[in-house]
Amino acid sequence: MSTTEQKNKKTSNEERLIEKLSSKLNIPVNLQKERRFWAIIDHSKIVETCLTAYEMGFEHLSTISVTDWLEEGKFELAYHLWSYEHKVLLTLKTKIDRKKPKVSSINSIWGTNAETCERECHEMFGVIFDGNPNLTPLFLEDWQGPPPFLKDFNWREYVRKETYDQKNPREETYFEVKK
Amino acid sequence: MFLQFIGAYTSALQMLIGEMMKMKLGIISEVFKNLFKRPMTVLFPEERIEIPERNRGEHKFDIDTCISCGSCAKICPNKAIKMVEAPPEFKEKYPKTYPQVDLGKCCFCALCEDICPKGSLTLTTYVFLATFDKDTTMRNPINVEQID
Amino acid sequence: MTSTQKKDEIGDFSMNFGPAHPGSGNFGVKVQMQGERVLKATADPGYLHRGFEKLMEYREPMQNAVLSDRVCVLEPLQWNLVHAEAVDYLMNYDVPERAKYIRVILAELSRIQSHFIWYAVMSLGTGFMTGFNVSMGYRDYILDVFNLITGGRVYPAGYICPGGVRKDLPEKAENKILKLLPKIDYMRKFILKENPAWLARFKDVGVLSKEEAIKFGATGPVLRGSGVGADVRRDDPYEVYDELEFDIPVRDEGDGYARYCVGIQEIEESMKIITQAIDRLPKGEVRTPNLKPIVQFRKAKGEIYIRNELSRGEGAFYMVANGEKTPYRVKIRGPSFSHMIPILEYLLTGVDYADVPAIYWSLYQCPADVDR
Repeated sequence: MSTTEQKNKKTSNEERLIEKLSSKLNIPVNLQKERRFWAIIDHSKIVETCLTAYEMGFEHLSTISVTDWLEEGKFELAYHLWSYEHKVLLTLKTKIDRKKPKVSSINSIWGTNAETCERECHEMFGVIFDGNPNLTPLFLEDWQGPPPFLKDFNWREYVRKETYDQKNPREETYFEVKK
Repeated sequence: MFLQFIGAYTSALQMLIGEMMKMKLGIISEVFKNLFKRPMTVLFPEERIEIPERNRGEHKFDIDTCISCGSCAKICPNKAIKMVEAPPEFKEKYPKTYPQVDLGKCCFCALCEDICPKGSLTLTTYVFLATFDKDTTMRNPINVEQID
Repeated sequence: MTSTQKKDEIGDFSMNFGPAHPGSGNFGVKVQMQGERVLKATADPGYLHRGFEKLMEYREPMQNAVLSDRVCVLEPLQWNLVHAEAVDYLMNYDVPERAKYIRVILAELSRIQSHFIWYAVMSLGTGFMTGFNVSMGYRDYILDVFNLITGGRVYPAGYICPGGVRKDLPEKAENKILKLLPKIDYMRKFILKENPAWLARFKDVGVLSKEEAIKFGATGPVLRGSGVGADVRRDDPYEVYDELEFDIPVRDEGDGYARYCVGIQEIEESMKIITQAIDRLPKGEVRTPNLKPIVQFRKAKGEIYIRNELSRGEGAFYMVANGEKTPYRVKIRGPSFSHMIPILEYLLTGVDYADVPAIYWSLYQCPADVDR
């Protein structure tokens, strides 16, 4: 009995928080499952939305991830923010054009932490973060090819050209493409 | 002047002893205890640690129960398993293709053992597989030398 | 006066801390020095970049479970768990109760052995070889239990897999774990003994305030050592952690010693969790019924961000599925990513060079999950 009451209380708390968030951020916030909220925002509003979320208690920038939707021709950026106060994860998603991947940096809020996350996104997907002074290579040294995590980057072809040892029969199986 | 020096020296020594008493000899007592303990290691070639039954080691293949479904080759994350034909002298008895394991690529995850419907490909506990020659890492379905 | 000026002129130089194993792990820090003082530190990651996020796009979930061990060498079972939970959610698997308890027991054992390694490398970094040897020795008792249960000492090869665990606990495994606990307790007491050399190296070194810790994205012992009592196991419970009783140790000082103390106290809490979990361990299945080794991932659609409390802090998997055999996109958040790049660069600015290894190891780093 008590557990169900607790659960009801929790859900009503979450609903109240969603309403509050939606009115403050001016966007509809959705519930995915317990303690997981998500919202779609416009890419031009990313800094102000993040700042409002930060002021509402979403202080921890967990990570920034990029998904390459090749057919749509868009990059989807997801900012995962956790609130130590409300104990809720808010995922802010925004889509940017794949050909002109430019979005403003949020280093004014999270400092070097955000800058490092953005550096990784820049290196792996080629997304340019406006206002980030430090978009230097992070993991890859002397990388000449295109950003490696892009969906249309044919890494098999690239490796075959660059480093494949033709004489070694044991490496053959890795280059057989079945699709 | 000499007496003064001695005085300073003894006071410093007293301070040092005081500090050492405060340390409660925590780690130092451990050192003396370890003098009378058995070592944690064993003298390897003569003495061996018992290897548990589940330990993932070298493959064992039973060709008579194999149905050549090829699911082990499909699930192998490292593509270490290749379906090959039996040597010519055994082709009449074993006409299908059988898994050949390259232990040099194998990561010993035992997914092939899990997926095998007949239980013919299993992992033994044998782990002493270090070799000087890269070509010896292949495990063929029929070990010709052994049969001879 | 002239001599000091000269000293400064000679003293400006840059040098590398690492990458050398086991001095700093596979991770380097480029430091600009002025005499003995560090002017600027630049982290140099990438020596362990294996591109797991891309690799996982080409493999099926069961194969990814095997791959997820390798994200971090020192806590493979916990990374197994994060991956398995992400697939469980996307596939709507109902994980059996027994499997959940086994997962928790193994994750906590993994946390303890990881903390032992932390103590070992901290000792090594500050020149206390006895601590290193004793700690690595006691860690091997835990690895023996892993070998008994999962079949591998270090790498479980996806023992915690989507839908449960791959095999049930072997006979007498529970007794073995209970017998292990006194040994862990002995090691814990050994670590707890106050060592003046240790205090001198870690006290008031690398102080990270509460606000900075939150801003830089610190998690785990680093965050709790700075006075924030946040733990994913408590705040965002997964598996059966909401049914178990345990405390969250917090320290307010924010220096290297506080972080280390939090870690050592966590060993005790993990032992509490293990005893409770073994007491309550139910009987039954350990895997979703009718689950074959191949996960039918074509049925999965959607995305999930799964967070777990690893021994180093918050580890997370962001997985997107769009009805293909393999995940469409996987993003791994390693806890050391924010510790080793922004926080380390910040803390190393302006310290003496002798403090560099102390700060470096007190941040509980793992280069493997920085680079992934």
